[in-house]
Amino acid sequence: MKRTKGEFIFTIINTFLIILLCVITFYPYINQLAVSLNQGTDTIKGGITIFPRKFTIENYKTVFGNSDISSAALISVSIVILYTLISMTVTFAAAYGLSKRKLPYRRFLNLFILIPGYISFGIIPTYILYRYLHLINNYFVYIIPGIFSFYNMIIIRSYIQELPESVEESAMIDGANEFQIMYKIIFPMSLPVVATVSLWLMVGQWNNWTTTLYYVVDKELYTLQYLMMRLIKESEAVQKLAMESTMYKSANDKVATVTSDSVKAATLMITTLPIIMVYPFLQKYFIKGVTLGAVKG
Amino acid sequence: MIEREKTTFGRFCSNSRFCTNIIKYKYTYMLILPALIYMIIFSYIPLGGIILAFKDYNIFDGVWGSRWVGFDNFITIFNHDDMLLGIKNTLIYGCVILFCGFPFPIILALMFNEIRNIKFKKFSQTVIYMPHFLSWISVIGMMYALFAIDGSFNQLLRKIIGSGYQPKNILLDSNFFLPVIFLSHLWKSCGWSSIIFLAAIAGIDPSLYESATIDGCGKFKQVIYITLPCILTTAIIVLVMSLGSMVNVNFEQVYGLQNAYTQEKTEVIGTLIYRLGIQNGKYSLSTAFGIAQGIVSMILTLTANAFAKKAANVSIW
Repeated sequence: MKRTKGEFIFTIINTFLIILLCVITFYPYINQLAVSLNQGTDTIKGGITIFPRKFTIENYKTVFGNSDISSAALISVSIVILYTLISMTVTFAAAYGLSKRKLPYRRFLNLFILIPGYISFGIIPTYILYRYLHLINNYFVYIIPGIFSFYNMIIIRSYIQELPESVEESAMIDGANEFQIMYKIIFPMSLPVVATVSLWLMVGQWNNWTTTLYYVVDKELYTLQYLMMRLIKESEAVQKLAMESTMYKSANDKVATVTSDSVKAATLMITTLPIIMVYPFLQKYFIKGVTLGAVKG
Repeated sequence: MIEREKTTFGRFCSNSRFCTNIIKYKYTYMLILPALIYMIIFSYIPLGGIILAFKDYNIFDGVWGSRWVGFDNFITIFNHDDMLLGIKNTLIYGCVILFCGFPFPIILALMFNEIRNIKFKKFSQTVIYMPHFLSWISVIGMMYALFAIDGSFNQLLRKIIGSGYQPKNILLDSNFFLPVIFLSHLWKSCGWSSIIFLAAIAGIDPSLYESATIDGCGKFKQVIYITLPCILTTAIIVLVMSLGSMVNVNFEQVYGLQNAYTQEKTEVIGTLIYRLGIQNGKYSLSTAFGIAQGIVSMILTLTANAFAKKAANVSIW
């Protein structure tokens, strides 16, 4: 293919812009990674860009040594696992049931599940309901609300519907009941879509901090994301104080090398690294969800 | 079995199609049952919470015991300066994000599409999709570090402008709130939103481009006359589906970015509901607020869908 001069210039500009966008996207993250690995008192002098100047893992030691953070991490991890398992079970069972085209009242059931998605009256009615259900300040507020979603159900259902029907029929003839067919035959065949939806659920739940904000006061039930929110909001207050009372004097006098900024950066890395390390290899599953949703939605 | 059919229930059941259907497919219905129960409890019952808005709810009297007040709560909202500001802010932020932000993912998809080197394309996509996987609060944490007085942003400006530059933290100034909200939204979601347009572009019939090339149509004209019209349907669907967000600014983003300096002037409906309802216990008032927002959002989505149906023959249903 021959290329004109105009196209050549366009390609160069385009490549340049894309690289610029990559830098803008990734720089803030790399910068925080560098800060988290740099001595806190040194960071205050400014000028940390993408490499740590005085390398240390002291910040991470401080963060991991903090009992609040380690207990929050435990809560976060356990929530993600439990939530994903239960949610997957409920959603998959419903998706399998509703995948049967012959099922009577299927249209009604679909509508019944679909309609609330379009109506929302804000968080207060939900909050009052949770109070009646004793979900406020309860570990299960992280697990139970959100175990079923129409969108995820549709994604799984359309996958199941594309599986060959003959498999199911022959199992039926062999005398298997619905439950056996579901978890012995359909489930193993649907593993790709199950993996995909599980990943969304996991990332969504890991990143969730508003549940804690709305419904949890008990310190022992804080999640990692929520704790980080507090840290960011509080160090914003620290920042404000520092600005008003002629700059960082007190921080410089400190003997310890760890500062609020470096702790913040280390916490940020701990909460984001699990996802950042994994998503490049799994992004095709996430992308599949977007394109599938566009077709089915 | 014979015994059961003699009872009234048994006779009713054997005659009714509903019951025979239920019994015949009982295992299948049992599989759907948990989801249905979930929907009833967590989606339908909160809809009944609408009555809270017409009452003066307090915890001691409960939902049923509280006094009816009619439309008082709604009247209060529209007579209250703080709340009117909240409505105004929500509309401004929502519209700017929706309409000004809308073209960017399309442009980005076109740019991605023009990269010929597969490896570079994959790499740059992976990098630009990254923010989608971070929570808003992580993003905001990075922003506070970036825009701090001694942060990278101010250092860069100082290098460009010179030593006379006065460093300034734009996150502590409410005048910059709108651009900050808009640009951080783009930063976080533009890449991910481009995926759907990339998929649409990939689905275009290549023979269209071939014949255009034979007719002497340049690259630029191909984009204007082939690519853009072909992804129009996708663009309309995306726009329609997000139209409800005009009155629904992302709570996590706004709440996260608010601070002592900016909070007063930047409240939106979502943050007001949180502060009034959950923090101050004015449940009825904030429910009324939520209902007003929810109804407007629903009407917007439904109307937009009706228009899209007429205009381009696409429907989200």
